[in-house]
Amino acid sequence: MKKRKMKLISLLCAAAMAMSMFTGCGDSSQKTDSGSSTKEAGSETKDTATETAMSNEEIIKAAAADGKVGNWGLGNEYEVLALLAKYDLPTEYLSQDFTMDGFDDDSITLASAMTYNELGLVQNDYDGGYGYGDSIGIIDMNDEGVAMLEDNIFCTKQFAAENPNTVAAFLYASLKGWEYAVENPEEAAEICYEYGSSVSADHQAYMAKEVAKLVTTDMNGNTVNDIGTMDETAMEQTLEIAKKYVTLDDADANTALQAMTLDDIRDTSFLENAKASDGAFDVEKPEVSIQLKWLPQAQFMGYYVALDKGYYEEVGLTVNIVSGGGDIAETTAVNNGTVDFGVTWVTNLASANAGGMDLVEIAQIYQRSGLVLVYKPENFQ
Amino acid sequence: MAQKLKRKKSLYQRGKENKKVQAALTVLLPVLFGILVIALWQGQSLHKMFHTDTYTLPLPTKIGSIFMDNRDKIWENTVATVSVAFIGLMLGSLLGYAVAILASFFPKMGKGGLSIIGAFASVPVVAMAPVLNNWTKDISNEASVRSMVAKIIVVMLVSAANMSLNAYRGLTELKPYAEDLMATYAAKKRVILVKLRLPNSVPYIFIALKVAVPASIMTTIVSEYFAEYITGVGRQIRENIVLAQYSTAWAYIVTACLLGVISYVILMIVQSILLRKHQ
Repeated sequence: MKKRKMKLISLLCAAAMAMSMFTGCGDSSQKTDSGSSTKEAGSETKDTATETAMSNEEIIKAAAADGKVGNWGLGNEYEVLALLAKYDLPTEYLSQDFTMDGFDDDSITLASAMTYNELGLVQNDYDGGYGYGDSIGIIDMNDEGVAMLEDNIFCTKQFAAENPNTVAAFLYASLKGWEYAVENPEEAAEICYEYGSSVSADHQAYMAKEVAKLVTTDMNGNTVNDIGTMDETAMEQTLEIAKKYVTLDDADANTALQAMTLDDIRDTSFLENAKASDGAFDVEKPEVSIQLKWLPQAQFMGYYVALDKGYYEEVGLTVNIVSGGGDIAETTAVNNGTVDFGVTWVTNLASANAGGMDLVEIAQIYQRSGLVLVYKPENFQ
Repeated sequence: MAQKLKRKKSLYQRGKENKKVQAALTVLLPVLFGILVIALWQGQSLHKMFHTDTYTLPLPTKIGSIFMDNRDKIWENTVATVSVAFIGLMLGSLLGYAVAILASFFPKMGKGGLSIIGAFASVPVVAMAPVLNNWTKDISNEASVRSMVAKIIVVMLVSAANMSLNAYRGLTELKPYAEDLMATYAAKKRVILVKLRLPNSVPYIFIALKVAVPASIMTTIVSEYFAEYITGVGRQIRENIVLAQYSTAWAYIVTACLLGVISYVILMIVQSILLRKHQ
C-alpha cells in the first residue's frame, strides 16, 4: 500500500513538472500565432485567366497563390525563397520528393528541377522519364538573378595548410579530368556508368551534356574557359542570398554567418598553384579521398574521368571516390577527417563554417546555377 | 580490517531492509547516473570516450541555450508532431481493439487475420510514408491537411497492429475454467464479451500502449522526413543536420526525447489510476 502511494506521488510529481513545462511554453506560443496567419494574405493576388501566354512573374505569382511551388528543401530551397521574395510573395513552398510525380499529377504546378537531372526526366521519354518534351515551360534561376553557386571542391583549412602540394596536385588532376569530361561528355558518361551508376546510361549521357554546360558557362551566359575559377561576383551573390535566406536557429552561428566574407570560405592560392604547375608535385599525402554530394553520376564526371584516365596517378595520388546520397552531410565527413576533400554547394559550406567548422573552398566547378522551375503551360492560361 | 568489513556489510544490510531507503534509491540512482552522464558530457570526457568533437556532440549548455532561444519555434513544431502522434495513436488503438474483438468472435479466421496485420506493422515507416503521401494527394487542396492525414495514417497502422495483437491475447487468454464457468451459466457470447473478455483485456491494452506510445512518436518523426508539408520535430532534425547545424539539431533531438519520456510518464499515471483494481 505504502509502496503504491510512493509510486503515485513520484509519478504525480513528474507529471506536474511535465505539465508546468508545457504550460510555460504555451504562453509564449500564443503570441507568435499571429505570425503564421500572414500566409493567407497572398491568396488575394491570384491571377485571372489571360488569353496571351503569362510572363514568368505572373506564373510564379499564380503558383505561389495556390501554394503549389515545390522544392526539396534541405538546403536546396534558398534560390526559390529568393525568387519568391523578389516578387513580394510569402516564402513558402511544398516539400518535393526525389521523383517528379508531384509535377506529373499537378499537385506541384511550379516544380524545382536540376537542368542535368530532373529536367531531363521530365522532358525525355527514356526509362524513368515522363516524356513531356518541349511542351513544358522553364524559369531559369540565372535569368531571374537569384542564382547561387553549386558544386565546388573543398577541404579543411588545416588540411590545406598542412598539405599544400597534395591539394594543388589533386586540383591539377581533377581539373584535367573536368576539362576532358566537358569536351567529351559522351565518353565521360560511359565512364561514370561503369563506376557504379545510380541512373540509366541514357540519362547519364544527358546529364553529362548538361553538366558540361554548367561548368563552362557563367551566370550571365558567357563562356568560361578557366575551369574551376572562383568568380567574385557570383560568389558574392551566392553569399548575399545565403545571408538573407538561410535561417540558423543557433544565435552564435547566425551572427557568424551574417559577418562572413568571401575570405572566410575560399582560398584561390591552391588553384593558382595548380594552374601554374607543370604537373609534377611533391605530395605530402599520396592517398586521398573525396566525398561526393550525391550518388555516383555524371554530376561528378570530372573526378571519375581523372581516376579512369590515370590523371591522379600521374600526379602521384591514389584517390578514393566516396559516393554520397541520402542524408550524408559532406561537410561533416570532411570536417571530422573521414575524407580529405568534398564536393558541396557554397551555401552549405558557408553555413557549416558559421556553425563552427573550418572549411575552405579551393575550386568552383559549376559556374552557374543548375536549378530551374518547370511548369506545364496549360496550368497557367 | 575484518571489523570494518563487517560494519560495512551491516550498514548495507540495514539499508537493504529499510524500505524508505530502497524507495529513495530507486529514484536517486537513476538521477545520479543522469547527472554523472551530463557532467561527463559537459566536461568533454564523453567526447574523448567516443572520439568525437563538440561540433557533432554539442555541449549541454549550448543545446540548452538554443532550446531557450527558440522556444516558440520548437513549441510550434512540437504541437505539429504531438497532434499527429496522438490522433494516430488514438484512432489506431481503437481500430486495433475493434479488430481484436472481431477476431475473438471468430478465433480460427481471426488468428490468421491478425498475423496479416502483424506483417503490415513490420513494413518499415520509410517505405510506408512515401506511399501514403501519394495515396492522400486527393484528400485536400491544403498541403498541410493532406500531409497531416498521411502521417496520421502511418502512425495509425503501426499502433493498430500493436494494439490488435495484444488485445487479442487479453480477450482470449482467460483465467482457467472462466469460460467454462460462463458456459455453465448459459451466458451469451455478448455477455461473455462484456463481463469476462473486456475486463480481462484491460491490462493488455496497457502492455500495447507501453510500446505504442513511444512508437507513435518515433513513427511521426520519421514520417515527417517524407511529408509534403514542412513541419515537425523530425523534419527540423533532418533540416539542421543537412545544414551541419548540430547544436540546433540536438535541441530538437532533446525535444523528441522529452516527448517520448513525458508521454510515457502520462501513460504510467493513467495506468496506475485505472489498474488499481488489478494490482
